[in-house]
Amino acid sequence: MSKMSMVQALNNALDIMMAENEKVYCLGEDIGWMGGDFGVTRGLFDKYGPERIRDTPLSESAIIGAAVGSAMVGMRPVAEIMFADFMGVCYDQLVNNAAKVHYMFDGQYKAPIVVRTACGGGFGGGPHHSQMIEGWFMNVPGLVIVAPSTPEDAKGLLIASIEDDNPILFLEHKALYSKKGEVPEGKYVTPLRKARVARQGSDVTIVADSWLVHKSLAAAEVLAGEGISTEVIDLRTLRPWDHETVLDSVRKTGRAVVVSESPGTGGLSADVSAVIAEQAFGDLKVAVKRVTALDTPIPFSVILEKIILPSEEDIIRAIQQIYKQS
Amino acid sequence: MMDRSELYLKMYRDMLRVRKFEQALEREFKLGNVPGMLHTGIGQEATMVAVAHSLRTKDGLFPDHRSHGLLFLKGTPGERIMAELFGKATGVCSGKGGSLHSADKSVNNFGDNAVEGSFMVTALGVALGWQMQGSDALAAVMLGDGTAGEGAWHESLNLAAAWKLPVLYCCVNNGYAISTPVGKSHATGDLYKFAAAYDMPSVQVDGNDLMAVYEVTQKAVEHIRAGKGPYFIEYITWRWQGLFMGEFRDKEEVRYWKEVHEPIKLADEDMLQKGIATIELLKQIENEVQEEIESWVTFAKQSPDPDPAKATGNVYVGWEVETR
Ligand SMILES: Cc1ncc(C[n+]2csc(CCOP(=O)(O)OP(=O)(O)O)c2C)c(N)n1
Ligand SMILES: [Mg+2]
Repeated sequence: MSKMSMVQALNNALDIMMAENEKVYCLGEDIGWMGGDFGVTRGLFDKYGPERIRDTPLSESAIIGAAVGSAMVGMRPVAEIMFADFMGVCYDQLVNNAAKVHYMFDGQYKAPIVVRTACGGGFGGGPHHSQMIEGWFMNVPGLVIVAPSTPEDAKGLLIASIEDDNPILFLEHKALYSKKGEVPEGKYVTPLRKARVARQGSDVTIVADSWLVHKSLAAAEVLAGEGISTEVIDLRTLRPWDHETVLDSVRKTGRAVVVSESPGTGGLSADVSAVIAEQAFGDLKVAVKRVTALDTPIPFSVILEKIILPSEEDIIRAIQQIYKQS
Repeated sequence: MMDRSELYLKMYRDMLRVRKFEQALEREFKLGNVPGMLHTGIGQEATMVAVAHSLRTKDGLFPDHRSHGLLFLKGTPGERIMAELFGKATGVCSGKGGSLHSADKSVNNFGDNAVEGSFMVTALGVALGWQMQGSDALAAVMLGDGTAGEGAWHESLNLAAAWKLPVLYCCVNNGYAISTPVGKSHATGDLYKFAAAYDMPSVQVDGNDLMAVYEVTQKAVEHIRAGKGPYFIEYITWRWQGLFMGEFRDKEEVRYWKEVHEPIKLADEDMLQKGIATIELLKQIENEVQEEIESWVTFAKQSPDPDPAKATGNVYVGWEVETR
């Protein structure tokens, strides 16, 4: 174990996989000697050279297209899209190609790509550098969406993603990049499609992902002082997400709060709530409650952004509310 | 090595196979045996045949929506292509791809992508993968004139040139994107000029002159195989199919392309004049091809529908999706 930031943990995962398998290579904007906008590929250029740490022009479609095409002939590309907000530029490549290659040609080809991208708000990035974008992709069969919340998971999930044969969107929250945590040495895999119980509790279940796992844990701590025991589930894989772990917890606590940094309309939080309502209705003591971003774009002013994004206080209030009702 | 007459005759036969394949498809489509949409490559046979004869099995192919002929010319048994277009279990993608998504990994056919122009960047990736693996295979991509308006088209040309990737761009300029004339939709109607701006060799050629097209394509693949990077060929041709099944073009234009500057007729006349073939031989080839294509149609018709389990299969590698 050693203490690392999420950036260091991700860098370590890439280093391990590139050393192990020469088919693994990275491509993206300014990932070469500069190490990427957030430093995730720092040092890898000197170690692996310009072929395998490949700088590209501002061509998001070509980045994903090149990743998919090379994956179809046996490479294991890890593409970096500088900010998740730019996914719109390469949306077609992910939705109509990466996600469908395996299905439409009936299994002949596969597209084992990992697309890493920096997502999320809270720092005044404004409308085009702050979004959570899993909702844009929730309705795309064939895609896998992964979002780590700790350095340990970041490393294990990135290794698992590179080894997996499906196209994976890997969402790295900017607020978590510098957050430190204990990370095991060497190679290990954190399983995909498996949620993590981040805190055990018996009265309420919070289902969260990425940065909001931390806000949920902080809220749970406050609520513990009020005598409410909160279980926090970190989804880790957002699509297809782990129904079993969530339903087991909700059946135990009888109360569910689904927390998400995305707008609620049509998003992951809507899907999680629907599945809980469909499959655990009889165990619920009170209706499912959601705490999500408001249904707006993200404004530049940090004061305004705070109004839009869900806070620790919002989570606490929601739980107090449903606790009173039941 | 085949001698030139032999090659000419072989390519001529392949043009007829493409023509008759498409005509049989049109007939079966009208009878309701071919589901979905149908875009045919009639009129563009010379281009397809020249491309097919310039590729090896290890080379990649990205066929477009008019490339049915290329699907079997690349090496897949024709009956499996026909069956795929009929949506049958014996199809090359078990009926899951159809006319617009027929791939065959065993011959490095990467399949069409019905989002026009989108696979321009996938071809880039295949070429990059092979370049990194030290292979001398190239990726050939078929693109209509209409696709030149897509962003992915330009991203692909730019990066292929910058990274000297082994991509053969086969631009089939048949004059129109559905109804829009090429000269009216792009900055120039001479699309090879775009490629020239991306600093790669690019030429425009009469796409209906079989041997001329073949020579030009040979030169291009030699260039690419020598490690010199991508090459762009603009084939000037014309599609018989108007708007789906109707005609919208000027009478004289139609007459010229169907009766005067028509690839099979041009080759017919040329071979007869040069003594490469006799009328009897040409007739014999035609009969043989007709029989071959009809056997594929029969195979497709008699094939079973896809297994229902295929509907939910191969969404993810290694994971099943829920069924009802
Ligand atoms: C991205 C995209 N836009 C539009 C279409 C609809 N569409 C299908 S074929 C076509 C015209 C293509 O023209 P061209 O590339 O010249 O090919 P041609 O049919 O003439 O061979 C259009 C607009 C599509 N399939 N994909
Ligand atoms: Mg056209």
